Amino acid sequence: MATETSTRSVVPQGTLYRGREGMWSWVAHRITGLLIFVFLLVHVLDTSLVRVAPEAYNAVIETYKNPVVGLGEAGLVGAVLFHAFNGIRVMLVDFWSQGPRFHRQMLWAVGALWVLLMVPFLVRHLSNVFGG
Amino acid sequence: MAAPSLEAPRSTPYRRSTSRRSNYEMYSWLFMRLSGAVLVVLVIGHLFVNLMVGDGISGLDFGFVAGKWASPFWQVWDLAMLWLAMIHGSNGVRTIINDYAQRDMTRIVLKTLVLVALVFTVVLGTLVIFTFEPCPVGPDGAFLEGVPSFCTS
Amino acid sequence: MSSTDSEAVEAAADRNDEQVDGDGRPHGRAGESASADGGQLGAIPRFDVTLRIRRYSAEDAEDGKPAEARWQEFTVTVNGTDRVLDALHKIKWEQDGSLTFRRSCAHGVCGSDAMRINGVNRLACKVLVKDVNPDKPITVEPIKGLPVEKDLVVDMEPFFQSYREVMPFLITSGHEPTRERKQSQEERARFDDTTKCILCAACTSSCPVFWTDGQYFGPAAIVNAHRFIFDSRDEGADVRLEVLNDREGVWRCRTTFNCSEACPRGIQVTKAIHEVKRALLTRSV
Repeated sequence: MATETSTRSVVPQGTLYRGREGMWSWVAHRITGLLIFVFLLVHVLDTSLVRVAPEAYNAVIETYKNPVVGLGEAGLVGAVLFHAFNGIRVMLVDFWSQGPRFHRQMLWAVGALWVLLMVPFLVRHLSNVFGG
Repeated sequence: MAAPSLEAPRSTPYRRSTSRRSNYEMYSWLFMRLSGAVLVVLVIGHLFVNLMVGDGISGLDFGFVAGKWASPFWQVWDLAMLWLAMIHGSNGVRTIINDYAQRDMTRIVLKTLVLVALVFTVVLGTLVIFTFEPCPVGPDGAFLEGVPSFCTS
Repeated sequence: MSSTDSEAVEAAADRNDEQVDGDGRPHGRAGESASADGGQLGAIPRFDVTLRIRRYSAEDAEDGKPAEARWQEFTVTVNGTDRVLDALHKIKWEQDGSLTFRRSCAHGVCGSDAMRINGVNRLACKVLVKDVNPDKPITVEPIKGLPVEKDLVVDMEPFFQSYREVMPFLITSGHEPTRERKQSQEERARFDDTTKCILCAACTSSCPVFWTDGQYFGPAAIVNAHRFIFDSRDEGADVRLEVLNDREGVWRCRTTFNCSEACPRGIQVTKAIHEVKRALLTRSV
């Protein structure tokens, strides 16, 4: 099937498709999913150091305690929360008979919930990261 | 009188090359949704306990992990999270590869890489959780440096 | 059917040679009335609009290099009542006869002139120029994911291939009844929405999953399968569901809702796909 695709004379596409909320939430879902997957691989590897020696684990964790990684962690939590809530939205679209009708409203709910949880988290997390 | 010969319509290059009729994609789709629902609870719980409760991110060290995994509850929690998240993530990446990798060879190579990463990470993580020793001792019989306080008391 | 009636009314309102304005008052030819006295009550405004059109012709190939698509701008004077299709006609008839696009009925029924206008799939005959911000150049491109043949004309064969594969015809067993096959209003209502499809490919070519490799059956094929799967007179539901259970079938749908928003007939495409998924999961129609 892939070989056929390469022989097809699809002319280079023009502008970006101007999809709406549904399309962009799907794009964001993909990107955050990929990001979380890559993080997960690293996270399991570094956590595995607890099996090597307490010092080895503590040493690696110590290198993470700087503002750059701290901000990265905040971004990661943001990605996880979006992926989680948008995932629930996708499930509602798939399993709730009224889901397709209210998909846009549900995306606003996802956004609201995300902000609602991110604000206290950022206050707590960033004061840890920057407050020492 | 011979009938005029007509050129065949150009439909052949577009025939769907393989039709694999199995429930595989349906179960994959269903798994993504069911595991996703469970993962929402597991991961948000994980984040809350590790980043919000106690000292937050600055409290993370060997002692923190040891304290958690001393309890079977967190062992099971993290084990379930590891398996579900890795399979959920690998399956998601498989979908992305199917969508964007154009050549068959590219698809096979990328999917093999994902499978290797999946098996390696899940096996490693599972071994670590099951063989974890919260109070490891060195060859001299003394506790290693960095063990949690509950080991010595 | 009511949808056909409303279609006809809309189409009539869209016609640029209609000499009746919104209030039903008659007036002269749009252009003349506006230019004669510069703004008679009820006159149709005229304005210049620039169309930025994606052009491609295999004949542009040079020295063995394949032809490349390019943008070309045309400026035309249109009436406030003109549709994008009218502007394209004006360009083809008055400026560049080589501009190539499909259209047949030109009234939103045949589904020939699906194209991408300002980035989204629309029927050129159902979009008024004044409604797509004529202050800026209006981009017009062929629909995505299907091989371009020339300018705005794409090869629809992959699209119709998927359509044929879902067997869009009544499948029954036993003797043909001597009278009509009866159906209650409730039974008819189950698939009413999906009977409206005009096979314009606006939905399928708006789907990000279809763009990637063109192997996905696509929304239109699923909509047309839905039309028969949920028809109480049809007995081929299991076969069609099995076809759509394929790895390129309904499970590739990622609910981006581009199809539902692109459909010129207002079919709730994502909802129809959702119903097919449910029928597959429960194995019951």
